Amino acid sequence: MRVIWKLTVASFKMFFRQREAILWTLLFPLLVVILFGFVRFSGVGSIALGIVNDAGPAGAGLIARIRTVRTFDVTEGTREAETAELAKGERDLVLVIPAGYTAAAADSLTALGDVEAKPQSTQLGSLVLQRVLDEGVFAGAPGLHRTLLATVPFKTRNLNYIDFLLPGVIAMSIMQAGIFGVAFGFVSLKKRGILRRLWVTPIGPSDFVSAQVAMRLVVLVMQMTIMIGVGLLFLHLHFIGSIALLYFIGVLGAIAFLGFGFALAGISRSEDQVAPLANIITLPMLALSGVFFSRTNLPGFVRAITSIFPLTYLADGLRSVAIDGATFGAVLPQLLGLTVWAVLACAVAFRLFRWE
Amino acid sequence: MSDEVILRVDGLVKRYGDITAVRGVTFAVQAQEIFGILGPNGAGKTTTLECIETLRTVDEGTVLVAGIDVRRSPQQVKRVIGVQLQSSSFFDKLTLAELLALFGELYGRRVDPLALLDEVELRDRAKAQVAHLSGGQKQRFSIAAALVNDPKVIFLDEPTTGLDPQARRHLWGVIKRIRAEGKTIVITTHYMDEAEELCDRVAIMDTGKIIALAPPHELIQTLVDGGFRREKAERLASLEDVFLALTGHTLRDE
Repeated sequence: MRVIWKLTVASFKMFFRQREAILWTLLFPLLVVILFGFVRFSGVGSIALGIVNDAGPAGAGLIARIRTVRTFDVTEGTREAETAELAKGERDLVLVIPAGYTAAAADSLTALGDVEAKPQSTQLGSLVLQRVLDEGVFAGAPGLHRTLLATVPFKTRNLNYIDFLLPGVIAMSIMQAGIFGVAFGFVSLKKRGILRRLWVTPIGPSDFVSAQVAMRLVVLVMQMTIMIGVGLLFLHLHFIGSIALLYFIGVLGAIAFLGFGFALAGISRSEDQVAPLANIITLPMLALSGVFFSRTNLPGFVRAITSIFPLTYLADGLRSVAIDGATFGAVLPQLLGLTVWAVLACAVAFRLFRWE
Repeated sequence: MSDEVILRVDGLVKRYGDITAVRGVTFAVQAQEIFGILGPNGAGKTTTLECIETLRTVDEGTVLVAGIDVRRSPQQVKRVIGVQLQSSSFFDKLTLAELLALFGELYGRRVDPLALLDEVELRDRAKAQVAHLSGGQKQRFSIAAALVNDPKVIFLDEPTTGLDPQARRHLWGVIKRIRAEGKTIVITTHYMDEAEELCDRVAIMDTGKIIALAPPHELIQTLVDGGFRREKAERLASLEDVFLALTGHTLRDE
């Protein structure tokens, strides 16, 4: 144990004496969050409109006309489901078509939206909806009267893109530290004969690897703490989950990706061999695992494949805990998925480990 | 030198696929001896050392270090040997003193890094990193690292390759002093003057076999007795003597 402790302390010193390491692991993820956080994607795109249709077929004509409007990204659902989505910030506006509604007789309809948090999309959405209703009047038979849309303020948790992004970037940094940090560092130690020199001492691979893993996990906890801290203090992060569960998921994800890193280091003789392999593994996940953008808009089969990516489990798990306050039971699928990946990666890494 | 055999290699064979790198090497090294292994590149010197050092598995034969069988108890052997590897390095970003303390810990020992650095005359570089050392200093540091576990046998694989004449001579001094403190040293080298200067006995290897094993002066005598004469008459000085006379014996790497 003392050997592992001493090796951990030594690797810690080595890590923090490398300026570029601090830059990449601690500052870079923060920079990504801040840069992306300032870009307002939501301001320009479509308006997410939820429709609650309690009127049955009577509401279908109106819904069909609303769906022709490109400004809207329409989802239909129950009142509970749609208001929950609205509260989470997944909808900008929820239109309620009450039971007994008829196009000919309705005087008014209500739309729910958080006017304070999303003034632009709520107002724009309401205006466009009113216009759709009015066009119905002009197109319809004489005698139809105007249906007025009333926007009802709805208090949401006012989730921003940053709330989506920050857990994703934490997941990304865990992956990068595991795969790139470990694989490159380890191959360099191997290539320069540093591991060979360790091999003639009585320590075993497990002592050295344990120390590396311990050091990486401590760095990870620091990294997560800094990012969440900066998010809460400066970026209005809406964090409601269990911090312990968040770290637990982070550590589990880190073990999986450290396994990947050691496996890559095991099969590679030089940094030139590591780089393409590491990129082949990480790039699809960066693009498709829902780090920067939600996976909901991906084609069905891509979504199915990407749902078992380790980064997807990690990002989804962290995000559910951070912004939805998910409990241990709620993130169980993600925890299981990460556990399977961790076991697989570590088993492969163990088989491929070479001192030289 | 005492009569106690500290390293015994008997019929050592090492194959890499179809190639047999070491073919039945046998020799014994006595305690406090400086034993040289000479030979052209590819003769099997480094492979022989690596088999003894537990870095490679032994295919045939026995290797006993201080009575411990390398094939049966490699971990025990690691504890009693000190190794300086050809072309291996140390962690960046740690100072020499930190590295020696860490290497001591790998053997479960708390060492005095400064005392070890004194041993190789590097105390004033205690806070430097390996990357900032000169070639000679690096080799001396390697030797200090090989001493952390107070080993019975020290293996030095071409320790003076690439060093200037001053640094080479300085390293000879360090090696002789370590032997005087009671260590046994096994060294490989390409420099015959070095072997002649340092080694009590040398084994000359070629194509995986030992083709001669004796004290250097005996090997020379045998050759001369066989009627060998140098084509050029012996000069009273060599170019290296000229070089050292002109540039002095002072180390340049500090």
